[in-house]
Amino acid sequence: MLEVSNLGYWYDHQDNSLFNNVNLTFEAGQSYAVIGQSGSGKTTFLSLIAGLDVPREGTISLDGQDIQQIGLTNYRKHDVSIVFQAYNLLTYMSPLNNVLTAMSITNSSHQGDQQFAKDLLGKLGLTDVQMTQMVTHLSGGQQQRVAIARAMAVDAKLVVADEPTGNLDEANTKEVVNLFQKLAHEQQKCVIIITHEPDVAAACDRQIKLSNHEFVVKDATTV
Amino acid sequence: MNFFKRAWLSLIAKKGRSVLMLIVTSAIMLFVFAGLLINTAANNATEQAKESVGATLTLSANREAAFKKMQQSQSSSSSSRPKLTTSPVKLSDAKKIAKLANVSSYNATTSTSVNTDGFDTVSTTSSSSPMGGMKSSSSTGDITINGVTNTAQSSSFSDKTNKLTAGRQLTSADSGTNNVMIESELAKADSLKVGDTIKVKSTSGSKTYQLKIVGIYKASSSATTQMGPGASDPANTIYTSNTFANTVKGSKYANTADSVTFTISNPSAVNQVKKAGKSVINTSKYSLSADDSSYQTVKASMKNVKSFANKIVWLVSIAGTIILALIVMLQIRERRHEIGVLLSMGESRFKIISQLFVELAMVMVVSLVIAGIGGQFIGNKLGQQLVSQQTTTATSSGTSQAGPGGTTGRPSGAPTGNMQGGMRQNMSNQSSKAKQAKLKVTLSPVQLVKLGAMGFVIILLSVVIAAGGILRLRPKQILLE
Ligand SMILES: Nc1ncnc2c1ncn2[C@@H]1O[C@H](COP(=O)(O)OP(=O)(O)OP(=O)(O)O)[C@@H](O)[C@H]1O
Ligand SMILES: [Mg+2]
Repeated sequence: MLEVSNLGYWYDHQDNSLFNNVNLTFEAGQSYAVIGQSGSGKTTFLSLIAGLDVPREGTISLDGQDIQQIGLTNYRKHDVSIVFQAYNLLTYMSPLNNVLTAMSITNSSHQGDQQFAKDLLGKLGLTDVQMTQMVTHLSGGQQQRVAIARAMAVDAKLVVADEPTGNLDEANTKEVVNLFQKLAHEQQKCVIIITHEPDVAAACDRQIKLSNHEFVVKDATTV
Repeated sequence: MNFFKRAWLSLIAKKGRSVLMLIVTSAIMLFVFAGLLINTAANNATEQAKESVGATLTLSANREAAFKKMQQSQSSSSSSRPKLTTSPVKLSDAKKIAKLANVSSYNATTSTSVNTDGFDTVSTTSSSSPMGGMKSSSSTGDITINGVTNTAQSSSFSDKTNKLTAGRQLTSADSGTNNVMIESELAKADSLKVGDTIKVKSTSGSKTYQLKIVGIYKASSSATTQMGPGASDPANTIYTSNTFANTVKGSKYANTADSVTFTISNPSAVNQVKKAGKSVINTSKYSLSADDSSYQTVKASMKNVKSFANKIVWLVSIAGTIILALIVMLQIRERRHEIGVLLSMGESRFKIISQLFVELAMVMVVSLVIAGIGGQFIGNKLGQQLVSQQTTTATSSGTSQAGPGGTTGRPSGAPTGNMQGGMRQNMSNQSSKAKQAKLKVTLSPVQLVKLGAMGFVIILLSVVIAAGGILRLRPKQILLE
């Protein structure tokens, strides 16, 4: 589904590439964990496959089409949904409106369906009162779950998440990981999660480790 | 949750920011509106003045030509003292014009003065001022005589400066009689009433005339204050038939008038009649002109008011656009995170700019209401201020003109341009008209729509100017660094 070929990236001030000549394939219906040391370039990699930045070298293609050809705005709108490390919610809205906004912008098939959005937020452990408060009145973990709900509410086949469980307790982490697995297995989405947590990584179908500027793919079974 | 709803939510959530924006846009709209209102009011005032220009033509001595002649004779013969000789209008000439198509009637006016014989004049502070001393030294009498064919048609009565309070007006039927209309103050001072007779002496003292009072009129007090120094109290002006005024002036003035005013039945035919009239008279001796001096005065002063109002509109609009653009730019800075989030979800930059525009537009609608209420008030205050400045200059320049030529019968050196005989009447007429040219600043839906359109353009421009900031934003830089 998502094909990364000969990918290379470096920041202007860096002497060496963060990574180069990366070739990876991500399939629909599968979940992937990207692990690696802090500062190794995981978030940078995510920004590339999420269409927030353009590669220095190589291409990223979705179902055979270069995402730059699709157009990055178009790609972000229809094909990918992102959960940020820093949540990045719209602070002047309630959780419910945040989810509805995402559904509206992406022309989701559930566009305008309040109940759908509420169910999703409910599954992620938000109460009805919390759903309609300002998001700024929620805790970090609650905001993170809103961000996850927002990514799940849209039709995009590709879901990328940067440390989605970083602020969650054990029970919530389990629930979130569970939901991501369901997204992959029941809705045939391709889920890519960046994480530091071994448990989260282990729960994913595949692990990709970024170390020494190289990505190494491991099968869940071989961990 | 489209960008309209987002705009609304954002306005509600960030109340402080919204109120600040409201204050700024209201201030801008208020001044733009005041400017627009003053401009329209000035236009209306000019239109009204144009409409109120009486459909009249005045035939009088051509002072300009006479003045030129005087200058010529001055240069050719330096020995003799130059004399401004103007010939009175011959009634036979006036009748030629009166016969033209569209001329419905005419009113001959002759002014002169006499002294009282056995009754007192009304004295006011202005007549007892040092300038008042001029009267006794010249050939001017205590009583000013306005000899007219028909008082109702004379300008002071037609513009309601003077109003009949007892008896009747003088008409052409009074021609050849010694019937007179006096002012109510004079009547009161001498306990005179309709039916009484008064005696007047010619200024040389050689002749005495007995006049019969047939009407008493009241001169509006505003005319008194508008009169320049040297002019006698309006209460000492009496109206007689034109023939009587001529008799007082002397036998060579028989069948003449200082000026003759023609009433044109169809106002749009004034220029046509003027042309036709000029062809039947000797234009080097006479001038035939439409009396639109009050219109010209109003037009000139309103032109200034309008240009000032236009400047307000332009300056405030440009300054407002710049200010709003800066505010939007600052907002984009402050809201780059939010914008980044929207961009990361694939929202188009155009829609993000549209959201900012809609937010401003919503604020603008409220500020339109505020401006609608406040603009009328400010417009009125500002408008009155502007007009009072303009009218003061207009009337003061008018009064100074009245000085030398003001009292008929006294030879004066300076030509007074378009000022003709019956000067005093014209003067009070003009100043009262100028006073009428008040700005009526009123609110109309059309003007609100106009204001709305201007406000729309202002916020559109400011958002477009500021939008460059959004186009440059990269979501990754905003969200991941
Ligand atoms: N915008 C930037 N400009 C310059 N250097 C950057 C920029 N963003 C990241 N870097 C550098 O690139 C490297 C990779 O950063 P990145 O954020 O991708 O790491 P990461 O693997 O996500 O780390 P973490 O696990 O701590 O989130 C780091 O050394 C970082 O300092
Ligand atoms: Mg990171």
